[in-house]
Amino acid sequence: MIQFQQVTKRYPGGLEALKGLSMDIQPGELVFLAGHSGAGKSTLLKLIAGIEKPTAGTVLVNGQNLARASRGSLPYVRRHFGLIFQDHKILFDRSVYDNVKLPLDIIGFDGREVKRRVLAALDKVGLSGKEKLNPIALSGGEQQRLCIARAVVHRPAILLADEPTANLDRDYAHDILELFKSFHQVGVTLVISAHDETLMADYGRRILRLKNGQFSA
Amino acid sequence: MKHWFRLHGLALSRTVGALLRHPVATLLHLAVIGLVASLPLGLYLLLSSVAGVTSKMPVEPQLTVFLKPEADVGALRAQLARDGRLAQTRFVPKDEALKSMEAAIGSGDLLAGLPDNPLPDAFVLTARRDVPAAELTRLEQTLLTDPGVDTVQLDSAWAARLEKAIALGRHALQVVVLLLAVALVLVTGNAIRMQILTRREEIEVAKLIGATDSFIRRPFHYSAAIQGVLGGLVGCGIAAGAITWLNPAVGELAAAYGQPFLLALPGPVELAAVCVTTMLLCLLGAWFAVWRHLRRYR
Repeated sequence: MIQFQQVTKRYPGGLEALKGLSMDIQPGELVFLAGHSGAGKSTLLKLIAGIEKPTAGTVLVNGQNLARASRGSLPYVRRHFGLIFQDHKILFDRSVYDNVKLPLDIIGFDGREVKRRVLAALDKVGLSGKEKLNPIALSGGEQQRLCIARAVVHRPAILLADEPTANLDRDYAHDILELFKSFHQVGVTLVISAHDETLMADYGRRILRLKNGQFSA
Repeated sequence: MKHWFRLHGLALSRTVGALLRHPVATLLHLAVIGLVASLPLGLYLLLSSVAGVTSKMPVEPQLTVFLKPEADVGALRAQLARDGRLAQTRFVPKDEALKSMEAAIGSGDLLAGLPDNPLPDAFVLTARRDVPAAELTRLEQTLLTDPGVDTVQLDSAWAARLEKAIALGRHALQVVVLLLAVALVLVTGNAIRMQILTRREEIEVAKLIGATDSFIRRPFHYSAAIQGVLGGLVGCGIAAGAITWLNPAVGELAAAYGQPFLLALPGPVELAAVCVTTMLLCLLGAWFAVWRHLRRYR
């Protein structure tokens, strides 16, 4: 489903974030991405979602080479993904409901379906009854859940989560990971990055360890 | 198709909502567009009103040759008939001149206080339209050397001058339109750039989760188009208001010259032309601003 072949990413200024990475993620797999900050975890996720373009190598998603995807086709590729950002990227000029609704507006769902899906997504992450609030009124953990609801509302095949458990206490982090596990159980492919490996160990899944832009054992 | 309409309907409703949420900013921008549009519109209406008057006036080059009492009318007539520069030659004897003058003034006894008809015999010459002005002056000089000729008057000179002034006005209008069109594109581009900056986070998130460039562009284009049309209406209103305010004074001035004349108000054609033009210019500004912003995303 996601395939990297000798992928290198060099940022302007010479910083080499990823060095000749190759990997293969199967459909329905749950993969953890571990490594210290600066190891290249975020860059790797951005390459999968087509947000960044590799300097060299091939990034295949569903057989499509994102390194050569046109500007016009990239938005449609991105709709296969649900993205959970490290900094949440929640919009504070609108309600919780409208935040979750955004991906559906972009795809162009009709009104009744939008409402049904938004309420279902909020229910799934445990934010039922808070749809009219401004996100500023939510706690840090709830904002993380809001971000997850927005990522899953259009039922993507692949979920990419960048440090979803950062800044959360251990119990809350477990709740979030349980939530991801439930998505995994219905067949969603997940790639989750975190710097805290002890959390991942509890789940016994494949862990890809990044160090200085390369996989380490 | 339904999907397409849904996306456009969504963009339109969000745009109208955004314009209504910031009424002061919207009104200020409409005022700017209106003022910019009203200037060339006012100038255009002034020119077309004046041109309407001059189109009724003779602009063929016409000369009136006033004769001395002792002039040899027959010889002069023969000489003029041979002149290739003239299209028409008409002799006006002094009696006929007096009659037409009496008719124009409306008094039947002009001669009452005068011992004699004071008017001279005259030739009214119409030159061919393709004769250049310099040639007419030469003709005038030649005629003046004739001992029987008293004075020669180029009747149509002032009408030709007015026509040239109007032509100059039209050129000035073109310059004004061009400059203000550029100004409108820049002003709208800047206004849309500000809107983009306030919605930068939303645009970034939308791009990241799969929005097409058109999805991002649409609300800004709608915003610019709506403001362009409304601004055009404001511009027509400003021009109409200014003309209504000026017209009594214009009417009085014209009446002093014995001419009924008022500046024309903008009609439906002008209204439509102004609104379409401001809409297109605002769209161009918005398109440029959004294009510049979207360039930074992959």
